[in-house]
Amino acid sequence: MYTLKPQETQQITEDTLRVCSLHAYAYCPRLFYLEEVEELYTQDAAVFAGRRLHEEIDNKENEEWLDLYLEDELLGLRGRVDALKTRNGETIPYEHKRGRCYRDENKQPQAWESDRLQILAYCYLLEVSLGITVAEGRIRYHADNVLVHIPFDQAAKCSVETAIQEAKALRRSPYRPAVTNNEHLCTRCSLAAVCLPEEARLAHNKEWHPTRLFPQDNEREVIHILEPGTRVGRTGEQLKITRRDQPIEKLSVQQVSQVVLHSFSQLSTQALHFLSYKDVGIHFISGGGRYVGSLDTRQGSIQRRIHQYQALTQPDFTLSLAKKLVYCRGESQRKFLMRGKRNRQESLPIVEQAIDQIKAVVRLVQNSESLASLLGYEGNIAALYFAALPELLTEDVSENLRFAGRNRRPPKDRFNALLSFGYSLLIKDVMNAILTVGLEPAFGFYHQPRTQAPPLALDLMEVFRVPLVDMTIISSLNRGQWHESEDFDIRGQQVWLSESGRRKFIEIYEARKSEKWKHPATGYSLTYRRLFELEVRLLEKEWSGEAGLFGRLILR
Amino acid sequence: MAELKNWYLICYDIRCPKRWRKAYKLLEGYGDRLQYSIFRCWLSQRMREKLRWELEKILTLDDDLILIRLSAQCVKDLPKYNRQNTWILEGGGFRVI
Repeated sequence: MYTLKPQETQQITEDTLRVCSLHAYAYCPRLFYLEEVEELYTQDAAVFAGRRLHEEIDNKENEEWLDLYLEDELLGLRGRVDALKTRNGETIPYEHKRGRCYRDENKQPQAWESDRLQILAYCYLLEVSLGITVAEGRIRYHADNVLVHIPFDQAAKCSVETAIQEAKALRRSPYRPAVTNNEHLCTRCSLAAVCLPEEARLAHNKEWHPTRLFPQDNEREVIHILEPGTRVGRTGEQLKITRRDQPIEKLSVQQVSQVVLHSFSQLSTQALHFLSYKDVGIHFISGGGRYVGSLDTRQGSIQRRIHQYQALTQPDFTLSLAKKLVYCRGESQRKFLMRGKRNRQESLPIVEQAIDQIKAVVRLVQNSESLASLLGYEGNIAALYFAALPELLTEDVSENLRFAGRNRRPPKDRFNALLSFGYSLLIKDVMNAILTVGLEPAFGFYHQPRTQAPPLALDLMEVFRVPLVDMTIISSLNRGQWHESEDFDIRGQQVWLSESGRRKFIEIYEARKSEKWKHPATGYSLTYRRLFELEVRLLEKEWSGEAGLFGRLILR
Repeated sequence: MAELKNWYLICYDIRCPKRWRKAYKLLEGYGDRLQYSIFRCWLSQRMREKLRWELEKILTLDDDLILIRLSAQCVKDLPKYNRQNTWILEGGGFRVI
């Protein structure tokens, strides 16, 4: 029988290659590298359908199939030969493929190159480890029901050996191979959403029009647990949410992308194991709305983090990234003020002045020589921006909801309480994206390490502050959505959001996240939910030789 | 990873309570039960194949299983010729509890 984890459950020795990784190598070296070195392994529909095909064959013809796990150190291969037929004393390995075969010029059925290499590798492995002679391997393509015979001779042996040598050399290499030139391969590839081939091509060729290979949105829900005393457990394949005096709610895990626990709700260990197994993000936010942390369950991605360390320890490189970041945020702030000015009848002298001054400072950013000077410029821009921001509130907004400048830890007025809570939700989402992609959140390029939050998350957050938090707060205030006594909790000098205020804020923020925005650098629309992850992947491309797309999310 | 998704109707007849229990629990993790032994699930091709594979491991040949993919148009027209609340669509991408 075919178990859930084919070869991974076996003791993995250092040097042998899985036969199916050779298949990946022949398909696309970059795919091989992502799977074997960066340990990004996704299973697409074809994998599961293929497994079912194996099950069916097992059930139909139970008597004559063998199933062997073989490994040979000398050859450097390991793999499971799961279809072996013995006819007239000859052993013939079979490979079953769901798809169609390749047709040559004369319309004769042939095997695809990667399939051919795979079956030859099986032949070789059988010969070496069992000490028998294998004359040929066979591939059955089930879609058009063709059986292709692949002779196993000296030339075939050479081709397998060469492929093993090349693949091993690539596995030792610290560099990710370039994107393949054959676009047809990418449309069927299960790792397209991670490898982002279209964006990589765009980075090299500005005239390229990417055809998006993945949809605009991830429809799974973010579950916010606000009520203290709520218990989140697991039943079967579902999450079970128990509240006081309420019926038990059950959610299928397929619909959940993150679970966010605000204040003190309980999450059982069973649920924790289950959620991490299903790759659901788990985040904690304190009752006061401060981001506490996330559960990090990544076991791999060592290579990607090594690349990240190597890239982000070069001062020139970090400076150039930091410049992009400060420019991106400054420009977004300026554009937002300009937008606010446009929407108003009366003239706003303070805003106009701030716009001009920010423009001047942003120009200086490009020529700055050090992180210290960048921090200075960023501080200048922020001061100008927060001085002008209250002007964007209309007359109808009550005096109590207005503010003068930014203050935090703790926030001293209602507006700043909203900002602080918004930035907590935002850093939670950015962290989720960083953990999904597999980078190291503690290693950034602009923010200096402090105890407050992981630097890389703070860095990436800069891109989204204006569009996701500042804009939503200003527009919700102007729409009169906030109730100044019910939604806020005032304790002496400190102002917090009350339970109903937090609930309201989450709804406004999540609604904003589901809006679409056309990414200026890549030219297609995505929801903000997806943009988080895309931006992290584009950041990683900056040091993977496909630079130039990060930090270009600027308001129009 | 986001992919194109469709609604699927998944209907089964299972001859043995033990297997039925397993299949039922598995399907609850993928979607909502509409009626006895009829589920609706919002699946991508990848999830569909995974679900089918997992189901095939539980079921035997004397059980019945059928998966029906509904087009967007089918789902849109459902309320026109059905009782109210037969096919409730939630959305919004978040839930505050």
